[in-house]
Amino acid sequence: MGLFHKTADALGDKLNEKLAWDLDEAAVMADDAVAFSLAGFRPEDAERGGYSNYSYWRATLRAFFRNKTAVFFLALMGVTLLFTFIQPLLPNQKDPLLVHYGEWGLPLNNVPPNDEFWFGTNSIGQDLWSRIWAGTRTSLFIGFSVAVVEAVVGILAGVLWGYVRKLDFFFTELYNVLDNIPQTLLLILISYIMKPGVDTIIFALSLTGWLGMARFIRNQIIIIRDRDYNLASRCLGVPTGRIIFRNLLPYLVSVITMRMALAIPNAIGSEVFVTYIGIGLPVSIPSLGNLIQTGRSLMQMAVLRYQLIFPVAVLAVITISFYIIGNSFADAADPKNHVN
Amino acid sequence: MVKYILKRVLRASVTLLIIITILFSLLRLMPIEGYFENFDKVSSTEIQVKLNSLGLNDPLPKQLARFYGQLLHGDLGTSNIYRRGVSINTIIAEKIPISVKFGLISFALSLVMGLALGVWMAYSTRTRFRIGDKLGTVLIVVVQAVPSAVYHIVIQFMGSQYGGMPMLFAEDNPASYILPVLSLSIGSTAYYAMWLRRYMVDEANKDYVMLARAKGVSSGAISRRHVFRNAMVPLVQYIPGSILSTLMGSLYVESLYSIPGMGGLLVTAIKRQDNTLVQALVLIYAVVSILGLLFGDILMAVVDPRISLTKREGAR
Amino acid sequence: MKENVILSFEDLDIRFTLRGQVLNAIRGISLDVYKGESLAIVGESGSGKSVLAKSSMGLLDANGTIAGGHIWYDDKDLAAFKTEKQWLSVRGSQIAMVMQDPMTSLNPLKTVGAQIEEAVRLHQGLRGAEAKQAAVQALADVGISDPETRYKQYPHEFSGGMRQRVVIAIAMACRPKILICDEPTTALDVTIQAQILELIRDLQKKLELTTIYITHDLGVVANVADRIAVMYAGDIVEVGGCDEVFYDPRHPYTWALLSSLPQLGVKGQDLYSIKGTPPNLFYEVKGDAFAPRNPWALKIDFFKRPPYFDVTDTHRARTWLLDPRAPKVEPPEHIRQLRERGGVGPYA
Repeated sequence: MGLFHKTADALGDKLNEKLAWDLDEAAVMADDAVAFSLAGFRPEDAERGGYSNYSYWRATLRAFFRNKTAVFFLALMGVTLLFTFIQPLLPNQKDPLLVHYGEWGLPLNNVPPNDEFWFGTNSIGQDLWSRIWAGTRTSLFIGFSVAVVEAVVGILAGVLWGYVRKLDFFFTELYNVLDNIPQTLLLILISYIMKPGVDTIIFALSLTGWLGMARFIRNQIIIIRDRDYNLASRCLGVPTGRIIFRNLLPYLVSVITMRMALAIPNAIGSEVFVTYIGIGLPVSIPSLGNLIQTGRSLMQMAVLRYQLIFPVAVLAVITISFYIIGNSFADAADPKNHVN
Repeated sequence: MVKYILKRVLRASVTLLIIITILFSLLRLMPIEGYFENFDKVSSTEIQVKLNSLGLNDPLPKQLARFYGQLLHGDLGTSNIYRRGVSINTIIAEKIPISVKFGLISFALSLVMGLALGVWMAYSTRTRFRIGDKLGTVLIVVVQAVPSAVYHIVIQFMGSQYGGMPMLFAEDNPASYILPVLSLSIGSTAYYAMWLRRYMVDEANKDYVMLARAKGVSSGAISRRHVFRNAMVPLVQYIPGSILSTLMGSLYVESLYSIPGMGGLLVTAIKRQDNTLVQALVLIYAVVSILGLLFGDILMAVVDPRISLTKREGAR
Repeated sequence: MKENVILSFEDLDIRFTLRGQVLNAIRGISLDVYKGESLAIVGESGSGKSVLAKSSMGLLDANGTIAGGHIWYDDKDLAAFKTEKQWLSVRGSQIAMVMQDPMTSLNPLKTVGAQIEEAVRLHQGLRGAEAKQAAVQALADVGISDPETRYKQYPHEFSGGMRQRVVIAIAMACRPKILICDEPTTALDVTIQAQILELIRDLQKKLELTTIYITHDLGVVANVADRIAVMYAGDIVEVGGCDEVFYDPRHPYTWALLSSLPQLGVKGQDLYSIKGTPPNLFYEVKGDAFAPRNPWALKIDFFKRPPYFDVTDTHRARTWLLDPRAPKVEPPEHIRQLRERGGVGPYA
């Protein structure tokens, strides 16, 4: 963070002190003849007065890193994600699908958390600790996949929508129809008709998820055509490629990033939802959704509550982190929040 | 204005037609088990007889035409599994009142709480420590970020475990309404609060507020007469949808508390794979959503004088 | 307070805090506004002219504070006002404002009648039919035809120029002593600009108003102002009668500002523009803020802030060039020619 502050202060506090680099105050002020002589004009000094070393990305990052809550959640998320993926590589990890048996060949079911099973075991004797991380991987995979599909399809459709004027009517009407379909409805229907599985959920969520992105991209493209400052750039002879690269791309990238960040908790939530109403993932594919669903049915028994609490806690950490990071990044990426 | 509304109604009708057609066609893809109570025990001849009698072996356009014919008569079909042979109209007639009752209580509660919270948060952004804003933001973040399935479970668990509330709904026990209503209203409370706060903060920074201050209007009057009213306009759009959607109940809350309403019915229909019932409920769901958006837009046009003009006639 | 002075800024300092950084928007300004006069405050955007005007109505943004000095009005120090109640005794009834963009300065969801009536009820104490009558009259007074019908219409049904008339009607309905016009014509078509300025001038004469124009447009100034105050980087660098500033300017910044007038351009040559950029006021300014951009800067300008030097009783400028020890510097040729050419404004 120190890095970001340094650049702003590079000019120092006293404006003219830095500019008049070859004038010595004591020498000038000591002698009226010197003090009241013309100093001469240096164009570079004239420019530097209001000099602002503004860089969109630096300003965005600085605004983001000033937000302590966001930084905390970024760190938390980073650690969680990293751990989720390296967990199977760590020593002494168990297979999430393996049923553990005790001395007399009986399954070690519903064992409370202990040294051996850190988060205990479930009702058929599988290790909850490894199931939770496997489930997190599944849920994150769904989330990321949906986010990527949304971004790719949304950007392609949006570019077509905005650029090809003949397609404008078609896309606008398509948008109006599809946007009226509640996502929950589609999710239920697709999951009901198709075989439950990770790809079904990804497909169902992606089916309308790209709409928002497409509309955003389309509006941006129309703005390139019409907005005053871009018009000004064009009048000044700036090539279109440069307009896109300098004026538009930074903003586009940050909004796309934010939308992707927010698509992830939404997708994870949807997975939990379809599993809850009974058309989600089978127990053979551990996911946060079916872990929570299983935990919920055991909620009545106080000793088994750990089976609900652990997956809920992991899920909450992940979704809240993504949500807060996405929103804070959106705030930081808004040039209105960039000071000097 | 009339022209705008007519146009909007036309668009909604076309959308509805398209959606119903797509839904109906998609549902033809459902496994045929969903038309039989004991699929495993039925012989293949019996299956064909039944499918023929249901018209399911006809070509799709013919089925579609018949389906629209039924709909025009207000007939949603007959349940095959959930309650065999009972008309779906009869089933939902029993379910809708309870869903609407819960829905409207929660709607009223969340509107009052959400607006109050939103106003408090917006006001608090101008105070030194922004306490109201911070507290409200925590609620909003939790409700938005944590999947609703999870916080519903948490509310049910905490309420029944530590609050001494009944865990399941019982019609004759008023206390058993508390947790479901709380669960149902918390989401939209956060939603109303979030948007009202955002719109109020946006409005408060607009030039016309500066002009109102410059002419000597007190900040209280500005908040009431200008900022709040203008900030409510975009929110008004969602109110018809919220009221209409009470017809569908809540999928989570109703099944969580065993409330015999529409939402719980859909979950049951899905779990029991009662195709006709799923089809009817999904259809109602679609109609309700589209009508909600339609009424929202119309209400918006009534409240906001700028919208009643089409682009061509507009000043800008 | 001196006789005839209605509003007086004294050593005013205004600061804004933005994300922990302090911006010195107004740096020790003293300025008297005389009863019934028309004063123009001129400067580039960001020079602090709007901030100065808004401070006299307590309309600074929440992160702005008066860090020092006084604003005298009617023997009261407005700079010491703490509560909203105190400000309400000034806003509208004593000082009213017309803002830059008539497209955004009216509430889009209220009829223009309701918005004028709000001012009528507050400041003329009228209710019901009487209030309505006064609002309709206010519309008629600013030259809006068919005011009865217009009363019931919404802002989006008015053109830009008409909306600005409505804004003026609102300001006048407050019955103020001072009218602040913050870039009143910037957002309008050139043809409409003259009409709006004329309207304000007529109202000023009829009602013996004191008007303060905030503008970057010297054309506007030439048409309406009795006196001109030139602002640069949060400071008034030169102030004097309209003729004095136009025809005998003393501060190099004023020279530069006048040089960039299109009327002074020579056909076929690039229009003059002031070299460099204004200082970033997040940094503390040492010496004369204009020094780095000033081709006639003295060495002392970089270290010591110049005091005001009186040119006449009514004309003074803040530049070391007026010090007896300074070398004799003549303003550029085209500035001296301004007098012979006569007239600056496009409508003169």
